[in-house]
Amino acid sequence: MKNLVAKLLGRPAANSREEAKKRLKVLLIHDQVDLTPAQMEAMKAEIMEVIARYVQIDPINTEFRLERADGQVALVSTVPVTRVVERPATA
Amino acid sequence: MSECIVVTSGKGGVGKTTTTANLGVALGRLGAKVAVVDADIGLRNLDVILGLENRIVYDLVHVVEGSCRLKQALVRDKRVDGLFLLPAAQTRDKNAVTPRQMRELVADLKKDFDYVLVDSPAGIEQGFKNAVAGADRAVVVTTPEVSAIRDADRIIGMVEANELPEPQLVINRYRPRMAAAGDMMTKEDILELLSIPLLGIVPDTEDIIVSSNRGMPVALDDSSRVGEAYRRIARRLTGEPDVPMLDLSADQGWWSALKRWVGLQPAREVVG
Repeated sequence: MKNLVAKLLGRPAANSREEAKKRLKVLLIHDQVDLTPAQMEAMKAEIMEVIARYVQIDPINTEFRLERADGQVALVSTVPVTRVVERPATA
Repeated sequence: MSECIVVTSGKGGVGKTTTTANLGVALGRLGAKVAVVDADIGLRNLDVILGLENRIVYDLVHVVEGSCRLKQALVRDKRVDGLFLLPAAQTRDKNAVTPRQMRELVADLKKDFDYVLVDSPAGIEQGFKNAVAGADRAVVVTTPEVSAIRDADRIIGMVEANELPEPQLVINRYRPRMAAAGDMMTKEDILELLSIPLLGIVPDTEDIIVSSNRGMPVALDDSSRVGEAYRRIARRLTGEPDVPMLDLSADQGWWSALKRWVGLQPAREVVG
């Protein structure tokens, strides 16, 4: 009954509020750190290269992203380790 | 103790001047001595929002350059005891004044007034730097739009870099019904994104357009709900604790009750 009445009154279609918020979250981070997507990719590749010298990682499920809370930006990453490399490079 | 508060936003057209005018009126009506300063040199507008444009003789640049005394340039608002306007120059540009001159001007005003409200120009250049130069704290005005919030975030960073800690936020042109329906960012969304304290919310109403046509700020009108929103913001600005938010929704008919019942319209939202 409730759903039927809701339909008759016209349920709002898309929720643009969420879209605005999502776009802003990304925008504010990039405005603050001034890092291009290309630089972000380059940083990710370099960090992964260093980690891979010590442990074997799963590059497909590796995640790097910038997050912001209380005006502070943090680099948050999840790097799944598959196993420890037997002889870590010392160079 | 007197204070200088700069009203700023980054983006133009979000309501800085309307906010400055109404907070000036509301603070004056609370019994404070208030000077509102138009720092938008070359694009003066605070005079017309206040309806004082016909009474200007001298302006801020004349004062700074020493071609008149400060008291000669101040325009008294006859409707509100203790409210004065220091108009911007219309035929000069932002470089006619330096941040140091602004600091000296504000220091002079603070000797005679409880509050000095500075209406900042849009942008982040010289005009903004002049406007914040003499300020003790900042009020950042935004609207619930992506572009305005982005610019507000930039300006908050710059205000903090100018050693004005804890800027406070005014959300202007808020539409509680649209926010409730998911068509506009809510007050909570905006506060989460900008993470500065909320000073108040001003609803979007046609009264504001009518009041600017007439040069009669809504804060003068005791029957105006938006005027009441500004009056409450002014009270919070003076440090009065726990000023309640204003319930501005008018959805009290059976149609809205029906929509609320089916979940199309969430419970009434309180703003202020």
